[in-house]
Amino acid sequence: MAGDMMTFNIKDGFMEAVCRGFRSGLLNTTDYSNICQCDCLDDVKQQLACTDYGDFLSNEHPPIATTTIAEKSTDKLVQEFNWVRSQSTAPLTKFLDYIRYSYMIDNVILVITGTMHDRDPHELLEKCHPLGLFDSLASLCAATKTSELFQLVLVDTPLAPYFSEAVTDADLDELNIEIIRNTLYKAYLEDFYKFCTAMGGATAEVMGDILKFEADRRAINITINSFGTDLTKDDRAKLLPSFGFLYPEGLTRLEQAEDFQGVRDACECYGPYRNIFADVGYSSEKSLEDAFFEFEVAQNRLAFEQQFHYGVFYAFVKLKEQEIRNIVWIAECIQQDQKSRINQYIPIF
Amino acid sequence: GRSEPQMSSQKPAATRMALGIVRQRLKGATKGHSLLKKKSDALTMRLRAILGKIIEQKEFMGTKFRESSFSLAEVYWAAGEDIKYTVLETASSAQVKVGMNVDNVAGVQLPVFEVKKQHQSTTSELTGLGKGGQQIANCRESFAKVLDTLIALASLQTSFVTLDAAIKVTNRRVNALEYVVKPNLESTVQYILNELDELEREEFFRL
Repeated sequence: MAGDMMTFNIKDGFMEAVCRGFRSGLLNTTDYSNICQCDCLDDVKQQLACTDYGDFLSNEHPPIATTTIAEKSTDKLVQEFNWVRSQSTAPLTKFLDYIRYSYMIDNVILVITGTMHDRDPHELLEKCHPLGLFDSLASLCAATKTSELFQLVLVDTPLAPYFSEAVTDADLDELNIEIIRNTLYKAYLEDFYKFCTAMGGATAEVMGDILKFEADRRAINITINSFGTDLTKDDRAKLLPSFGFLYPEGLTRLEQAEDFQGVRDACECYGPYRNIFADVGYSSEKSLEDAFFEFEVAQNRLAFEQQFHYGVFYAFVKLKEQEIRNIVWIAECIQQDQKSRINQYIPIF
Repeated sequence: GRSEPQMSSQKPAATRMALGIVRQRLKGATKGHSLLKKKSDALTMRLRAILGKIIEQKEFMGTKFRESSFSLAEVYWAAGEDIKYTVLETASSAQVKVGMNVDNVAGVQLPVFEVKKQHQSTTSELTGLGKGGQQIANCRESFAKVLDTLIALASLQTSFVTLDAAIKVTNRRVNALEYVVKPNLESTVQYILNELDELEREEFFRL
């Protein structure tokens, strides 16, 4: 069983080593400060060539756009992930699939919305996130009515259990697409959490903490972002994942919250969140989202301090994503000549 | 109305009645000239004011656009680059429409565009519900302001072009009256007066 010091390396030792190899290729403070000092995106490309990124942009014609940088770096992440997944064995494969499910949810929602608005299927598939591609995704585009859509989704996709729990055929038509997305995501998070807890050992410990934070973060975000919209408190409560550090007491208070202060009060019961909210003043430069990113990075960093668990794979994907976000942010600041905000990225090591 | 083309080679009958008629015409031309001059002045003043506002709005728009572009970068930071596909796919009907009214300045019809905000659909309200919602709301506000500025700028620029054309036409008429019609009429009056004087002298001479 994963997490057992004596048996982990038999099946997953090599993969963990590969993962740690990727981790050491992440950009450090020197790399970041070099990139920040660049004056144009071509300089950024040259700086990145000296890192693990190598010549990933060499085939691009100048002038390079920030969207290209984002695309190519994501491609690199996808390549590394798919390589690990193809070499892995169960149950690591299942764990890696769980990581993919969140991207699948986004892709499915995108395809459903696009199909309902009669968009071209090829264009839709191009816009999907590569980590969330699966075989039956293309067949979703063939549906012409929402009931057909539901049949296809229910039968062919790995997301079927999340759909049947939360969304019925009638809902697909009327319910707001964002509500569907968040309902699916809640089901997915709860399922992932169950899976990790069942694995036991270090995986359960590390992933448990990470997923609990993710659940709380979503709960807080959904609450705050629903203020001033037509979303009722009851509907909102249905979207909040039912686990996490705030569960159950803080979650109940979140469900009742009516403004930012209410949210702040609901999180008082848990120390680290109290600190986060203390950092975020009412009109400071640092937004709540930034504070969450920082906390997430810190947790993912900690995952690498322990060995013989699957959390390192999850942590690597998330840290790499953060790195890509950082690079794109710096590139945008350089391109838009807004150097004053350039240091708002989140350093990883 | 248009001033009658006065051909100075055509000599009118040198009678008192003709004098009266020509003098009437001259009075009309003088009155018309001063009215048109006033109209031209009013239009020119309005044009200058609009020009000033256009410059102001253009600078303002430049700043606002820069801010909005940056707020878009913040959205990508918080919600990921893929949010743009979500927004594009869920767009249905326009949230901002433009209505046109007509303003009247010294007889010139100027188009004025006004912003008509439509009700925001719930889908777009809830975009980024789980992540990045605040940045999206900021971005939306920022670009809405840019759109307002753009529409105001469009009004101003259309007005500018229309006014410019109207001023040219009016000035042409003013100049025509001042340098062609009035001098012609005045010289006709002078000619008739001279003829009448000569006729009187002839009368005296006969007597």
